[in-house]
This record gives sequence, C-alpha cells and structure tokens, in this order.
Amino acid sequence: MSSTATTRLNGLALFILPSALLFALFFFLPIGLMALMSVLTGNPVVMPKVAFTTRHYARMIGDPYYLEVIWTTIRIGLVTTLVALLIGYPLAHWMARIKSRAGHALLLMAVLAPMLTGIVVRTFAWMTLLSDKGVVNQTLMSLGLIAQPLKLMYTETGIVVGLVHIYVPFMVLTLTGVIGRIDERLEQAAENLGASPLRAFLEVTLPLSLPGILAGSLLVFALAISAYVTPILLGGFQIMTLPILIYQQISANFNVGFAAALGIVLLAISLMLVIAYNRALGLVSGQRELQ
Amino acid sequence: MQTSASHSASLPAAQQAASVHTPGPIRHYGRYLYLAINIAILVFLLAPIAIVVVFALNPTPFIQFPPVGVSLRWFEKFFASRDFMHALGFSLEVAVLTTLSATILGASAALALARGNLPGTRLIVATMLSPLMLPAILTGLALFQTYVLLDVGRPTWGLVAGHTLVTLPYVVRTTLAVLHNFDTRLEEAARNLGASPLRTFFEVTLPLIKPGVLAGAIFAFIVSFDQFPVSLFLVSPGNETLPVTLFNYLKFDLDGTIGAASVVSIVLAFIVVIGLDRTVGLRSYVKL
Repeated sequence: MSSTATTRLNGLALFILPSALLFALFFFLPIGLMALMSVLTGNPVVMPKVAFTTRHYARMIGDPYYLEVIWTTIRIGLVTTLVALLIGYPLAHWMARIKSRAGHALLLMAVLAPMLTGIVVRTFAWMTLLSDKGVVNQTLMSLGLIAQPLKLMYTETGIVVGLVHIYVPFMVLTLTGVIGRIDERLEQAAENLGASPLRAFLEVTLPLSLPGILAGSLLVFALAISAYVTPILLGGFQIMTLPILIYQQISANFNVGFAAALGIVLLAISLMLVIAYNRALGLVSGQRELQ
Repeated sequence: MQTSASHSASLPAAQQAASVHTPGPIRHYGRYLYLAINIAILVFLLAPIAIVVVFALNPTPFIQFPPVGVSLRWFEKFFASRDFMHALGFSLEVAVLTTLSATILGASAALALARGNLPGTRLIVATMLSPLMLPAILTGLALFQTYVLLDVGRPTWGLVAGHTLVTLPYVVRTTLAVLHNFDTRLEEAARNLGASPLRTFFEVTLPLIKPGVLAGAIFAFIVSFDQFPVSLFLVSPGNETLPVTLFNYLKFDLDGTIGAASVVSIVLAFIVVIGLDRTVGLRSYVKL
C-alpha cells in the first residue's frame, strides 16, 4: 500500500469491483435487512400491514432470561479466549523459536491436524471423552481415583474445553507469526545483561507480542461467541447461548423479527470488541496494520 | 517467512555468548518445564483425534472404552449410507465452487488493493477481512432472511455465496502478504525491458504471487468444507452438507459411523495439506 504522491487510479483498481459487488449484495444488504427486520412487526413480503416496533428489543431487555443468555455467551467467550491464550502462547513460542526445520514442520502439522478435522468431529471426540461413561471418567474410575463419574459434560466447563480445543489453533497461528518477527537478539541481549530467561521473556518478548495477543484473542472471542455446534452438543441444551437461541427462534418459532434483534445484539457485541481492539492496538503499536 | 531460519543462520556467535554465561540447574529445570508444558498441550490437541480413530475401528455399536477389537463395519455403513454419500458429494461440490469464486475474487481484490492506488485502502482491507471477525452465524442468519424476503428459496448458489463471503478474507490476506513482500522493482524491470503491462502481469506478477493465492485457495477449501454456522441456515432438507448431516446424526445416534465419517474427512483434509506442501510448502501457512 504505497501512498506515493501520484495517487492516480490505474486499471488494476477495477479488479476490486467483483468483490465489492459480492459484499454489497451478500453482506451489507443482508445485514441491513436484518437490522430492518428487527424493528418490524412482521415480514413485509407476506404481511400487507407492517409497522415499526421496538417490542423485540423490549422483550430482550425486559426478560432476565435473555439477559442471562447474553451474559452466558460473553462469559463463555471470555473464558475460552483466556484459556486459549494460556495454552496457545507456549506452543506458538516454541514454534516460532524452534531451530530444526523438521521440528517446525511436525509442530505445524500437530497444530493444523485438529483444524482440518472439523468442528462436528472434534465435538464428537470431546463427547466420547467427557461423557459419564467417557474415556476420562472410565480411566479415573478404573484407577480408583473417583467413585462416581465426574459431571464434565452438560456444564460450562465442558463447553469451554471443547471450544478451546477447536479455536486454539487460530490463536497459535496468529501468535506464531508475531513472535517469529520479534528479533531473538533482543531477548539474548537482555540475558547477556543479566536477566533470567523468564525475566527476559516477560520484559522483552511478551510486550512485543502484544499485537499478536490482541489479534488472536479477538479472533478466538469472535469465533467462540458465534459457536453453535459445540455449546449444543456439549451443553445438551442445558446451557443457552445466543447462537442457540437465534437458531431456535428461526427453526422452532419462525420468529424472524426476534431472531434478527438477537442477531443485532450479537453484532453489536462483536463491533464493540473490534473497536476496542483497534484502540488497544493503536496504543500498543502506534500504527500497525490489521493484516 | 523470514523468521527463525534466517536468524539462526546469522546468530551462532550471539547464542554461544548467551550460553557461556548461564548454564546452571535452574535454567535446565526451566527448559524441561517449558518442554513438558508444550508436550502436554500437544497431547491435548491430538488426543481427541486419536480417540476418534479408535472409535471408528471399534466394533461395538455403542461408544466403549477401552476398545475391544478392530473392525471396518462402520466404514462399510458410512460408505453404504445414501445420506452420507450425498452429503459428502454436495460438500465437495460447494467447497470446489466456493474455492474457485473466493480465489478469483480474493486474488483480484488483493491486486487492486496493493497495486491499484485505490483511495481508502485500509478501510477496504478492514471491510474485506470483517467476515472473519463477525460471528459467522450472523452471516447465515442475515442471508437466510434476505433469501426469504426475496423469495428465492435455498439455492446452491446462495450457499456458495455465503461460503465465498467467509472464505474470501483468507485469500485476500495470504495474497496481500505475498504482494507486500515482493520487490516491485521486478515489475518495473520487466516494463523497462519493453514488456506490456499485460505480459508483465502474467509473466512476473502472477508467478510471484502464486504461493499466496494457492495458500488462500486451500484455506478457502478447508474452511468451506468444514463450514457449519453459515450452512446451518442455508441448506435445504435433502441437500445438506456433510457437517450438517453429521451434526443431525450425532443428535440421535452415537455409534462408530460418526467415527468412520470423521476418519474419512480427516484423510481428505490431509490429502489437501499434502497437496499444499507439494505446491507451496507448509511454511507459507505460518504467516496467516
């Protein structure tokens, strides 16, 4: 993105048009329509008389159940992001710093393998691990460590474990790129000046990798609050999140207006986060591009 | 991509200097702790996949641990199932169409952004990447409502459009990364030697950005093949993608068929990754 003085459009600029059209027709128009549907009394195509209403939003704010669902969604998203960061950082650091090419390729395969395995499949794997007669409980019981199976499934903990497993590769890949670009000599200089490896890491590498931490966290949070499969299968409908509620409103009640209002709330949460992210990134790194 | 390899090449002296100062037992324990933590994380990442394979091969009709034997009956059931085979075929069809459209649209958009002198480039890039940051289930919901309002039903092109929207950012990002890294003087040199803009593009620019475009294309394929939230709203009964079919099956049955289906999709994904490694090299994956 060269910002030379000669900012004359050239022929290549036209290449943006197909994607611009795609975004206009299949992104901005639909989201605009969703916002519109959220304030209408019904579907304007099938109903001759529709009026503007705020009842969908009033229903959401007026009922503690819906506020609880929104809060549960955010809470699961936050915990998932935090755990994914704690698990993803060491692995990303190892991957960015490992010297052997073969070692690097193996680690990369290990991170990509789960990503390639699919969300439904991995959730199924966690069901076989976490259920009452699952691998974890069977193993612990046969070892005599517990008498009763632990309740791992149908809990928020179970959902978080599944979500972390599914989204941690995104965190690792984002962090690896950023940590890899930090000059290792800075760390070594700190150590030569007498800092312990831990202190060199905490005072040099960690602060420099903040943009990666922010980018990875934003990605994982956005993915976690929109997850549908994992919360349903590992939560067994006992823990309600916004995506589950949205789909339920469409499939069971065909309440398109209320689903749209819930969608707008989910959108608002994500947008607030993106704005906060850009602010934070501006503070951390002056002006680094969202690449 | 110029990360650890080039550093390690230029730094043996600095490393020696670092290790001369500080062997000591504490440093060793720290090193072991670091490795132990990382190996535990790798086990966490890989164990569930191993478990799926075990269940796919275990003959009992319910999930049992430890496994009692080895059998291929679930694979037979999977391949004999008309629903699963139809879903597999439909998923592949959607993924191929999505990959084509996302790659063509994304690569041209990246070219326009990097070389077209467009005003407001940063804003456009942020917009093009935004489907990554916005909940995918919203894309599905919003498209679903639009198709209902326009009364177009649930056509395959509608699903492919949704998938293209969520996979396009990957292509834009990988292609932009390559475009930023390469030396524009190569293009200028070609032009100075008398090549037409078109010839410069096809003989210099395109070969140089190929790795980024291919990496993006493979990402698009994988993301589309595994796409759930967008598909959830946009598939029609009888024409479902494999993840949706697997999900619906899982809600009622929990037998080895799911394991077999999983192993098949894992193998498919690995073929794609090996293809990636052969064509562009796995390392281009790192800098997402």
